[in-house]
Amino acid sequence: MNGNLLLRLFVALSLTPAACLGQATIEGRVELPKSHFAPVASERYEIVSKAGVLATYPPRAVVYLQGDFPKPSALPTKQVAQKDFAFAPALLPIEVGTKVEFPNLDDTYHNIFSYSPAKRFDLGRYPPGEKPTPFQVFDKAGLVTLRCDIHEHMRGLIMVLDSPYFTITDAAGHYRLTNLPAGHFIVKAWVDSKTTRERPVDLKSSAVLQVNFP
Amino acid sequence: MKAPLLCACLLAAATRAFAADDFLDRVDQALTLSIFDDQVRTRVSGLLDLEYYHYPQPPPGLIRAEDHDLFSPRLSFFLDTQVGPNIYFFVQPRVDTGFDPTDLGTQVRLDQYALRVTPWDDGRFNLQVGKFSTVIGGWVGRSLSWENPFVNAPLPYENPTLVSDVELPLTGQSFRAVPGSDKYEFLPIIWGPVYAPGVSVAGRVGIFEYAAEAKNAPLASRPESWNDYDFGHPAVDLRVGLRPNEAGRFGFSFAEGSYLRPDAGPLPSESDPADYRQFVLGQDISYARGHLQIWAEVFEARFQVPRVGDADVFAYYVEAKYKITPQLFGALRWNQELFDSGRDPTGQPVAHGHDVCRIDAAAGYRFTAHSQLKLQYSVARDDFISNHLQGTFAAQFTVRF
Repeated sequence: MNGNLLLRLFVALSLTPAACLGQATIEGRVELPKSHFAPVASERYEIVSKAGVLATYPPRAVVYLQGDFPKPSALPTKQVAQKDFAFAPALLPIEVGTKVEFPNLDDTYHNIFSYSPAKRFDLGRYPPGEKPTPFQVFDKAGLVTLRCDIHEHMRGLIMVLDSPYFTITDAAGHYRLTNLPAGHFIVKAWVDSKTTRERPVDLKSSAVLQVNFP
Repeated sequence: MKAPLLCACLLAAATRAFAADDFLDRVDQALTLSIFDDQVRTRVSGLLDLEYYHYPQPPPGLIRAEDHDLFSPRLSFFLDTQVGPNIYFFVQPRVDTGFDPTDLGTQVRLDQYALRVTPWDDGRFNLQVGKFSTVIGGWVGRSLSWENPFVNAPLPYENPTLVSDVELPLTGQSFRAVPGSDKYEFLPIIWGPVYAPGVSVAGRVGIFEYAAEAKNAPLASRPESWNDYDFGHPAVDLRVGLRPNEAGRFGFSFAEGSYLRPDAGPLPSESDPADYRQFVLGQDISYARGHLQIWAEVFEARFQVPRVGDADVFAYYVEAKYKITPQLFGALRWNQELFDSGRDPTGQPVAHGHDVCRIDAAAGYRFTAHSQLKLQYSVARDDFISNHLQGTFAAQFTVRF
């Protein structure tokens, strides 16, 4: 009876992919820049205004693993909403090829556009609840700055990465990258368009590596 | 030769601006300040406009210059402050060669400043005090260079009529005999955004909009009148509107006020400048969807002119803008201004103005989110000077920060 159980366990372990067996983790903290302030909406010519937006606007960092990884066959659709005259989330990391929808959750028009070299588009003016939800597929790696042609203060970022292994820090800079393959890679922390920190790492199966970016 | 050279310079500047785009985003962040746990937030921003005009003499609209070319730089600053969710304050100083383009040297002005209180979050009521643009019409909201698809304003906002607020006609016949070089003495139906001081209430309830303002000067008043701060004969402007959805907007406006300056003359005996008034009825309509925006406005204005009687003018324009690509747009506008004729109090026939029609065509390109180049060509038929078609070329390069 015990021998049969051990045999079954051996067969199960033999069929498990090595990548799943040896999933590594990196965790640590990225030193974030001084907190930005919430934007101020310009309403000089819009004499009928609603109460001012007081949304917080804390900086975040994107931490990702750089390497040569296989392309996924399918990617989940992501969303960047316009809510309370701000992009939510304000920073979205995605993998190349991801479709991102831009639902309008305010009660007025928005006109999302980007002139970034990684993706130039203009969705035109559309009302809340627009169906189908306006979207773009981001097929080139790079930083995409989102803006609204109607509301000058609105700004958001989409970071298009060539890697499936990425995460976003919390407001204090803490992060945790899980399910990583074993091997030698470079882990990068994107802080802003001028600041990207990086560290070489050797990831071992089932190990948790502490990497801080001061 | 000058125009291509200037355009080349503007393009070179645009290329530099592209490199500076990220820098300008950082400047924007650096110029946003916050205190009291984000309850008071202030942002400084601005527009740098480099404008060039090439035109026949006399120049079109409210341009004042002796040559056939005019280079008109303008630097505008904006201070926007949000205090809690309910108080908003803004200031708009400007350095340029005049409120309207001139060759008369540099000016520094405080065009706008106002305090707005919004007691309810849904925007049903706003109270604003200060010196600010008019609530009338639908063009003011896109009067700044970044939002305006054209370099100039629609005809009703910049085309001088034969009505002066200073030099009054001695007879009905002299009302028409106006030398072209003195165009600045005469008033358009609405003088640009009309940054006059006063108080306004405005709001939106469901699909309905309303706005009312009392100011020191009426719609036609010149910028010098806005700074008089004399509220002895306030002008009153009203607008009610309908916004059935976010795509469309319709408004009906009424405005009236005494337009003569205190030093206007010669006045008929036993009359006062405040006895002569401007009345304006206006309708505005707009539609926006996807990459298309359309605007149209109609104005019927009456000026009570000493020794002439009522000088009536009807003006309208239809304007459309279409984004051809994310960065390239085209715009077209048809403008017309028609004057009635009548008899002066002595029975002499008098024409109350010179009919004008004008078509404006413009193309704009946004190099980055902070820099834009617009080229415009306008053709006008104006019997003010001659019945011939007159063409005006204009270029405007803008950096927004």
